[in-house]
Amino acid sequence: MYSENTSRLAVLVVEDEPLLRMDAVDMIGDAGFKTYEACSADEAMALIRDNNDIGILFTDIDMPGSINGLKLAACIREGWPSVEILIASGVVGVTDEVMPEGSKFYSKPYVTAQIISDMKTIAASEEHSV
Amino acid sequence: MTGLPPLGETQEAPPLDFFSSVAVMAPRGRDETVARQLLAKDGIASISVLSLTQLSELISQHIGAVLITEEALSGADADALALALDAQPSWSDVPFIVLANGTTGSRSERAAQRIDTLSNAVLLSRPLHAEELIRAVRSSLTARGRQHQARRQLEELQLRERQLFESEAKFQAIANSVDQMIWSTLPDGFHDYFNDRWYEFTGVPAGSTDGEGWNGIFHPDDQERAWERWRHSLSTGENYEIEYRLRHRSGDYRWVLGRAQPVLDKDGTILRWYGSCTDIHEIKVAEEQRHLMLGEMNHRVKNTLAMVNVMVSQTLRLADNLRDAQTSLQSRIAMMAQAHDRLIATSWAETRLPEVVDAALAAHRTGEGRFDIEGPDLEVGSKQALAMTMAIHELSTNASKYGSLSAQGGKVRICWAKKDDVFTFTWVETDGPRVSPPTKRGFGSRMIEQALAGYFQGKVELSYDPEGLHFKLSAPGSGLLL
Repeated sequence: MYSENTSRLAVLVVEDEPLLRMDAVDMIGDAGFKTYEACSADEAMALIRDNNDIGILFTDIDMPGSINGLKLAACIREGWPSVEILIASGVVGVTDEVMPEGSKFYSKPYVTAQIISDMKTIAASEEHSV
Repeated sequence: MTGLPPLGETQEAPPLDFFSSVAVMAPRGRDETVARQLLAKDGIASISVLSLTQLSELISQHIGAVLITEEALSGADADALALALDAQPSWSDVPFIVLANGTTGSRSERAAQRIDTLSNAVLLSRPLHAEELIRAVRSSLTARGRQHQARRQLEELQLRERQLFESEAKFQAIANSVDQMIWSTLPDGFHDYFNDRWYEFTGVPAGSTDGEGWNGIFHPDDQERAWERWRHSLSTGENYEIEYRLRHRSGDYRWVLGRAQPVLDKDGTILRWYGSCTDIHEIKVAEEQRHLMLGEMNHRVKNTLAMVNVMVSQTLRLADNLRDAQTSLQSRIAMMAQAHDRLIATSWAETRLPEVVDAALAAHRTGEGRFDIEGPDLEVGSKQALAMTMAIHELSTNASKYGSLSAQGGKVRICWAKKDDVFTFTWVETDGPRVSPPTKRGFGSRMIEQALAGYFQGKVELSYDPEGLHFKLSAPGSGLLL
């Protein structure tokens, strides 16, 4: 079930709900991306510091820990501006103002194909720009 | 003579012209006949009186005037007359026209005293002179008419005073019997009235919240808002309505609905403000709980849908064919629906582990006593409960297809415990067919091995022992309620 054209970009999946995380990691992996998984923003920060192949952040908003997904997204935009940010949440009322510029929002439960397609577009433009 | 009251013991009020009638008492000679003829000629009604007792009764009924001969005054029952005169109300001074016996000089001291007791008497000498008599009677009746007029005014004033008193008493009774606190202010908003309920509720001394003192009873966080709203009403005349917290005598703040409206005169000028405070604390608290409940419900529904989404995604991802996928999905969704039925029936806030296990196994029980269950009544969080339900469902489904539940006499022993703040949950299958590890990992085993441990922040061991499948979850005690 693995995609033929594997990407050089790795995706960091941040989700506190174990089942959702497992499924997200599975679907992104199936699409040919290398994945890293974290159950909190703190864990995610540690992973992105140690792994420079991470090109996409795919994060939930409402999570336990010192910061939530929106704060995490803001930190990563600041420290790793080239990382693309995708945010998924069941929270209603998330506006563009509270999300880092250029990031995308998906409401939960999300359509997997849409997210995979967006990730592939990001990966493709990254390949070209290199 | 029509229109005159029947004499005797009647207590009925006399007709109006009775008050301008003259009682005539002249028992001897022709005086009575002459006098009454003269009066009748001049249109003055008269009543013939035969005794002082009868006269006393007429006086008690406020007769207009009395024409009496001096000798009649000395008749029997002179005391009754004196009593009747004494009993007259303050406005009444019955005029007597006394037909005298000769001149003052010839009158005995006793006779003079009798005339004095009448207090308001004129003497007319006999023989009667027609004009003298009529003038004397007329002026007496005119003066008597004034007395009756004064009496009516006095009675009217007394009635109004009584009505005012009754109205005030009625207001107090109403204002103090309602459940609401009621208050009133001058047009500028100066509080000068609070009903008893206000003092009962707040427990403050009467009068201590007059003027602007009332604001101190408000919750500090609501004072400014309430003032602002009140000032707005005072300046615009618009009705006042606001919810705020008021300090109860117990010291607790309670939610109250405050309302007020102005009473205007015919020019539209505000005369007073009348307001009320209604205790809505219980309603407010119930509303907050309902909000919390709705929030929690929304959260759980979304969570459930997310789970269903994962199950669909995972089932299809690993399915050999659509028919199998359909069966698995339907049974998984049915399991979740049942779990919800059972879990929500107990309580929204907390879930007990025995309930969870029972609910998860419900669909797999055959009535043959294949499950051996043992564990204490522990509280689990809603997420952990759902994850555990899913795990047990997957284990049961697997056992029915390949494990101990697929063979006659096969059993499952389920045990859990919490010791030294470590929670363990085990599932051990016995007396089933020989077990070998699966060639392909399905959603069930992945869910159990990867996801379940995460929900409890613990670790999971799943071993395909040839004698029967073993599953064990170990987690910190705190993991049950993450």
